[in-house]
Amino acid sequence: MSIIKTENLSKVYNPDTVPVHALNNVNISFEEGEFTAVRGPSGSGKTTLLNMIGGLDKPTEGSVTIDGVDISKLKDSKRIDFRLHNIGFVFQHYNLIPVFTARENVSFIMLLQKRGKKEIRERADALLDKVGLSKKKDSRPVQMSGGEQQRVAVARALASEPKFILADEPTANLDTESAMNLLDIMNRMNKEQNVTFIFSTHDQRVIDRARRVITMVDGAIHKDEEQHVAEQA
Amino acid sequence: MATFIKLAWRNLWRNKRRTIITITAIMFAVLAAVFMQSINRGSYEVMIDRMVSFNTGYIQVQDYRFDDESSLDNSFYYDEELRDKILNADWRIDKIVPRIETFMLAANDVSTRGAVVLGIDPDKEHEFNEIRNILSDGRFFEAGEQSVVLGQGMANRLQLSVGDTLALMGQGRFGMSASGLFEITGIVDHPIRDFNNQVVYLPLDTAQELLSAYDHVTSVLITLQNERHTNPVAASLKSALDGGELVVYTWPELMPEILELMEMDLAVPRLLTVVLYIVIGFGFFGTVLTMTMERLKEFGVLLSIGLKRLGLASVLFLETLLFSLMGVLFGLGFAWSILKLIDPINLSGEAAQAVIDLGFDPVIPMSFAPDQFYTQGFYVFIIAMIVFLFPLIKISRLNILEAARS
Ligand SMILES: Nc1ncnc2c1ncn2[C@@H]1O[C@H](COP(=O)(O)OP(=O)(O)OP(=O)(O)O)[C@@H](O)[C@H]1O
Ligand SMILES: [Mg+2]
Repeated sequence: MSIIKTENLSKVYNPDTVPVHALNNVNISFEEGEFTAVRGPSGSGKTTLLNMIGGLDKPTEGSVTIDGVDISKLKDSKRIDFRLHNIGFVFQHYNLIPVFTARENVSFIMLLQKRGKKEIRERADALLDKVGLSKKKDSRPVQMSGGEQQRVAVARALASEPKFILADEPTANLDTESAMNLLDIMNRMNKEQNVTFIFSTHDQRVIDRARRVITMVDGAIHKDEEQHVAEQA
Repeated sequence: MATFIKLAWRNLWRNKRRTIITITAIMFAVLAAVFMQSINRGSYEVMIDRMVSFNTGYIQVQDYRFDDESSLDNSFYYDEELRDKILNADWRIDKIVPRIETFMLAANDVSTRGAVVLGIDPDKEHEFNEIRNILSDGRFFEAGEQSVVLGQGMANRLQLSVGDTLALMGQGRFGMSASGLFEITGIVDHPIRDFNNQVVYLPLDTAQELLSAYDHVTSVLITLQNERHTNPVAASLKSALDGGELVVYTWPELMPEILELMEMDLAVPRLLTVVLYIVIGFGFFGTVLTMTMERLKEFGVLLSIGLKRLGLASVLFLETLLFSLMGVLFGLGFAWSILKLIDPINLSGEAAQAVIDLGFDPVIPMSFAPDQFYTQGFYVFIIAMIVFLFPLIKISRLNILEAARS
């Protein structure tokens, strides 16, 4: 069974004034363990699609089902709770709590999940090691580079053990090296732990690393193709 | 919760200068509010304190008619049984002091003056107000003596001194005529001006005989270990004496005029305090408003990853609370220290003389009444709650996507 499934998913912004059809009848599903890029011109609806799948916004029509749960029918606080336990997020920027250190940022989400102190501490440490930030655990976001911050965001998303991680242009603000580095980490997590990643991007080098590439045009799925990726050294 | 407090605390210090300014503003408002109150209340408290400790006591028992008509006809029979009944009414009662009080004429060979005649038990009275310590001349009489002790002012006006004889004339109980000659054994410098000018103390039994009021008193004063117990003890007494002709008064009921005057004098500082708090409240609101608006994006991210609105609201509530808490604590701390430092303000020169001529001490005492401290904390807390409404409403309506776009 697919972990994510949309049915006739449509989104119209400002239906009463100047209607914008951001998504038109999208039917798509995602399986566990995918490493998928969503591409398309600006305004094609990538962010809107990810927001719908992530339960950050309600569809105008159609439904989004995650693991059998129709999330568009959930009430606000239930939806927040659902996100906490099922979906990981990496945003383009302003990802982290600025007054918390890397470790505290990663721990915070597990605290919200009410995990035990010891587990939180150990997981936060292990995850930060995995994303290559062993030396930056006690640094605050301002003391880290953009790439490091995004890696903390990935560690945080992983910490909650979600069913999948959504990343809307995670590399948009990064230089090439940091972008590739972040992608390596995401890729490794995907391979080693079967973590599902769905990310939107404009960057061809990032697209090249995805195993499935979805192309959007005018709020609809234009192309949906598998691609073979050469193993990274 | 610990994490929320940590988060709130650190958020507070993201803009150090703004936070310090806000806390300082709250601090000064609290400081000024306490100060204005304290200076205005201090003199009244001294006055009230003297009244309570020299005259009224915390609680009095009287005949129910005495308040309307302070006549000896409205005195009451006081014996050991009644004494025990009162003493046993509440364990917080310290001592009880019986008195008989009436108005008579006091005379020397040539002139006559009105006098407040107080029949007292010298030992009990001393235990109550250490009256022997204010003797300026002579000694205090013992029970049964045909003697009196005068207020200094009274003695001066009648040009009498220790060893002289004073004549008292008036009416006893039920219209019996009352008169007698008494030896002056002592003169007191009474701290209450009216008393100093008018009082004549007699031994209780001597007074009862003079006034044909055998075993009768006009009031019984009740002293307590702690002023705080006034109301509960009065309540126990009321129920113990229920059904009889005796009524119980607490000290505010015994001197309503002074309290009214004090309230009037406090009206201006209270008004100023309100104005001050409104001004500070707007400043506080401004800070919280900017702190909210500049972080909407961050709030959006927090709600996205799974922090509930209630959780986010708690963090912002803690921030507002910490602001006010620090302002209040510093404000009260400073107010208290400064008041302690200057208390009492000693007047000098002409001002001092003017006050002395009015019969007061040339000092401005400060009040340390605890309520003026904690009420400020309460006011600031109320302001904080009102200010907090803004982020609360903002959070409850926050649209995650709009926040992320802002
Ligand atoms: N909140 C909104 N209100 C009105 N219109 C919106 C809103 N959000 C998105 N849109 C519109 O919906 C369409 C799709 O937007 P979306 O952000 O999903 O595109 P995108 O593919 O992510 O673009 P980009 O590559 O620039 O990020 C656009 O025309 C956009 O202007
Ligand atoms: Mg986008």
